[in-house]
Amino acid sequence: MAFDTFETLKEHALKEHRQESTPVPEGTITLTVNGERHQVHVEPEWTLYHLLHDRLGLLGIKMFCDRGACGSCTVIMDGRPILSCMTFAIECDGMVIETAEGIAEAGHPLVDSYVKHHTMQCGYCTPGFITTAKALLDKNPEPTEEEVRKALSGNLCRCGTYPQHPKAVLEAAEHLKGEN
Amino acid sequence: MGDYEKIQEEGQFKVGLDMPEITFKEVGKREVRRMDGYEKASGKAVYNRDIQIPGMLYARILASPYPRARILRMDTSKAEGLLGVRSIIRYDDPEVAGKELNGSYFAPEWVNKALAGWALKPVHLVLGDEAFYEGQPMAVAVAADTEGIATEALRLVDIEWEELPFVLDQEEALKPDAPILRPGEDSNSISGGDLVEHSHEVGDMDKGFSEADTIIEFRARRRAHLWAGAEMPCVVLRWRGDNIEMWVHQQQPYHAKMLLSEWLDIPMNKISIHSPYMGCAFGGRGNPSNNSENGMNVLAALLARKTGKPVKFLYDRAETFFGESGDIMISDFKVGAKKDGTITAVEMHNNFAVYMCTNGIEHFIENTRIPNLKCETVNVDVSIGPAWWHRCEQLPNVFCFTLVFEHVAAELGLDPTEVALKNDGYAGQDTSALVKYKKENGFPDIDSLKECIETGKKAINWDENWHLPGARKLPNGRMHGMAFTWDHEWDDCRGTGSAAVLIENDGSVSIIGHQADVGVNPWSTYCQIVADELNMPFENINIKTQDLDSGFAMMSPDGSCCLCSNGNVLRKAARKAKGMLLELAAQKFEDVEPQDLEIEGLEIYVKSDPENRKAIKKIVKKAMPMFDSCVFWTEAPVIAWAWHTQGIWGNAISTGRPRLCRQAHFLEIEVDTETGKIEVKKLVNINDVGKAISPEAVEGQMYGGSFMGVGRALTEEMIWDRKTGVLLNRNLLDYKYAAMNDSGPIEAIYLETGLGHGPYGACGIGESTPTIVPAMFSPAVYNAIGKWIDDFPITPDKVLKALGKA
Repeated sequence: MAFDTFETLKEHALKEHRQESTPVPEGTITLTVNGERHQVHVEPEWTLYHLLHDRLGLLGIKMFCDRGACGSCTVIMDGRPILSCMTFAIECDGMVIETAEGIAEAGHPLVDSYVKHHTMQCGYCTPGFITTAKALLDKNPEPTEEEVRKALSGNLCRCGTYPQHPKAVLEAAEHLKGEN
Repeated sequence: MGDYEKIQEEGQFKVGLDMPEITFKEVGKREVRRMDGYEKASGKAVYNRDIQIPGMLYARILASPYPRARILRMDTSKAEGLLGVRSIIRYDDPEVAGKELNGSYFAPEWVNKALAGWALKPVHLVLGDEAFYEGQPMAVAVAADTEGIATEALRLVDIEWEELPFVLDQEEALKPDAPILRPGEDSNSISGGDLVEHSHEVGDMDKGFSEADTIIEFRARRRAHLWAGAEMPCVVLRWRGDNIEMWVHQQQPYHAKMLLSEWLDIPMNKISIHSPYMGCAFGGRGNPSNNSENGMNVLAALLARKTGKPVKFLYDRAETFFGESGDIMISDFKVGAKKDGTITAVEMHNNFAVYMCTNGIEHFIENTRIPNLKCETVNVDVSIGPAWWHRCEQLPNVFCFTLVFEHVAAELGLDPTEVALKNDGYAGQDTSALVKYKKENGFPDIDSLKECIETGKKAINWDENWHLPGARKLPNGRMHGMAFTWDHEWDDCRGTGSAAVLIENDGSVSIIGHQADVGVNPWSTYCQIVADELNMPFENINIKTQDLDSGFAMMSPDGSCCLCSNGNVLRKAARKAKGMLLELAAQKFEDVEPQDLEIEGLEIYVKSDPENRKAIKKIVKKAMPMFDSCVFWTEAPVIAWAWHTQGIWGNAISTGRPRLCRQAHFLEIEVDTETGKIEVKKLVNINDVGKAISPEAVEGQMYGGSFMGVGRALTEEMIWDRKTGVLLNRNLLDYKYAAMNDSGPIEAIYLETGLGHGPYGACGIGESTPTIVPAMFSPAVYNAIGKWIDDFPITPDKVLKALGKA
């Protein structure tokens, strides 16, 4: 029997053999990262950090404290900032994820205002801060300085760039207001 | 003079204000768009930890579970049998057995044993069988398909240990019944039986104390803290034939090459090094005393050779808790002072654990007119990891300096800013010696300390807010406290560097020199300097650092003093390149000499006829017609390199460079007498930096360092279990440094007096605030509650104890 297209093969398999022609193996998840859909096979012990950083090459997610103390591995998952080093990849099926790379590529004003205000020194923790700040602005487009400080108080920066973050985030918020 | 001798001659620092013949356009400008900015903000900046190579294996090393122990027997067969384990190196394998970590570069003949301390003593093997502290990397390294398998393999190594007695405290370590920790020694004092290891005395102590109206004696203690950088150390290494290619997270990549070359006995020209961005360094990535640098590199090279695969050698967070800052100290002070605040004598005895930096007295010598000074230092080995310089080696000096001055002011009931001004000076002389030096060497006659103090007092409203100890209770029930401290600036009297400036064939300019990303935005700063020296736009200059192992090493030997060394390197190289460019240009104009020409932007013009100008890209380019097409040829390249060297480490006076710039810091706190909590309400940093080349970078170093200082003062402490010798807080949940809300506003104000010995009158700024800020907390607490807590960090339990509540 010949099939013209892969679709007709799939139809045939379902109709005649009552199974998927290409069954999805156990441990496969589908997730959307920075607007792109990915279907990936993950090992049960993989963290979301491992999947995104080591497998999908999103190097802006940083391994800093190694155990949920610093916020450098923050990604936005379904609108909430979460720690990717403390999240199993296998639990992220169907999730929508944003990382610093996606935030930058979408032209979010946070990136420019972070550069302008020198809101980085070694830069290792910077993407984690930006991601956390983006999640805040998504939820609260006009935060007070106090709210910015509170939102970012879980992120560690060994270089001590802290005073610049409220400035950069508030300026980005102003910018977003102007855009809308 | 030969070509090489000329380079050497030009490289020597000469005292005297070397003001530029250039107009500042980029230097000193705000809002220069930093070159690393977009990469770092967008998550696209690549750090060593991010490097992956196809087929790469992951390597890890065993950490000693005991503070002092010896391996009697080790069985690695189970680990070897684990699926995914590709290679194992044991301490008794012939390729490593008995081999020292660092080879001749850190051998005793290079390093003064008495001064260098334990950290540089070659007691560490690349893979040893004897543990000197809990967590020591040793015994066995594994390469496996994944990090998890490598970790699991280490768990399967079966070791029979002989546990040995240990000691954690440096005073206990000197008691007669203490176990002697190092083989073949008769004392835990690093210099041996003589307990006074390093002694310094000037003047006449008896005379000094007899002239005093009051004698103040006190004891202070600083407990261990460490760098704990953001990115955990790792190296990625692969062999290409008999060549090595490696990616390192080290402050001095060139050193990595020298050490590895000697260890493996392969020529340096067969090692290529990449230096990606670095997630912090702060001295912690320039520490040769621990396996995390050359040891890691050697083992990665051996494992990669055995397996034929690239190897990524990793530390996890617990393993980054090595290399305490070299100020684990117990200090006893005796100070004589007159009623007006003039200090007549300072005597101190400092007992350091695993000490590795300064002795405590040096800033009194370099910075004051106090004529009678005495310092005795004991360096004691204890069962914790070797200490190292972490932002920075001046910690003991500023600790002693601040505490002495603040105790004197408090005891006499004087405003501490007055006491500072009364004692400011240089090598036992008053400030007239500095005035004379400034005059003789073309520096402006500015009293830097006075300017710093006046500026700071205004910023914190000192005259209104300062009060006598325990005198101000706030409406919220807390006690209000203020403190001040001062010091000289970091003059950076040391360092070497080399780099080249190349005019590319399109007129753009490349800086060529191997440098790690040390400092705040250093690359933009270097490009600002070259831009102004060439009178070109900033955007026309680029620095090729990350992938360029060019032989030019833009680094000072210890990772400090980068701008002061490299800034001078680049000024020299840019000026030489400019001279060469104008020589070439003169050939392409008619009837002009090089000195008739000037650069402006991307063009060169005739000074007497500014309309007569040519694009630089046309000058450096040479196109030759050939057959019917055009073949591109080049001119002899316009490239110039320079070297710069200055001074000797920690030796400003003998190198003829008294420190002229000063700094002053002001702190306002509230102490909750119910909980013992200390809240920072305001911190004001005033640094006379001479000249700010990148204003935002200067401010970043100031407030950033202050945050580090707040953490060191209040929370940062490594805590060992006294019964087992195990470090209990090997993670960033239990070892706390300051976060966003752990300090009130920090005001960073810099002054530009031109009094620095660095390029354009600049001096260093990177190390001062984190080093100076911590000790201010004890006088601030005293000012708040009237009790001294000279035991750092000043945690709430100590405050409550001082108040008699615990």
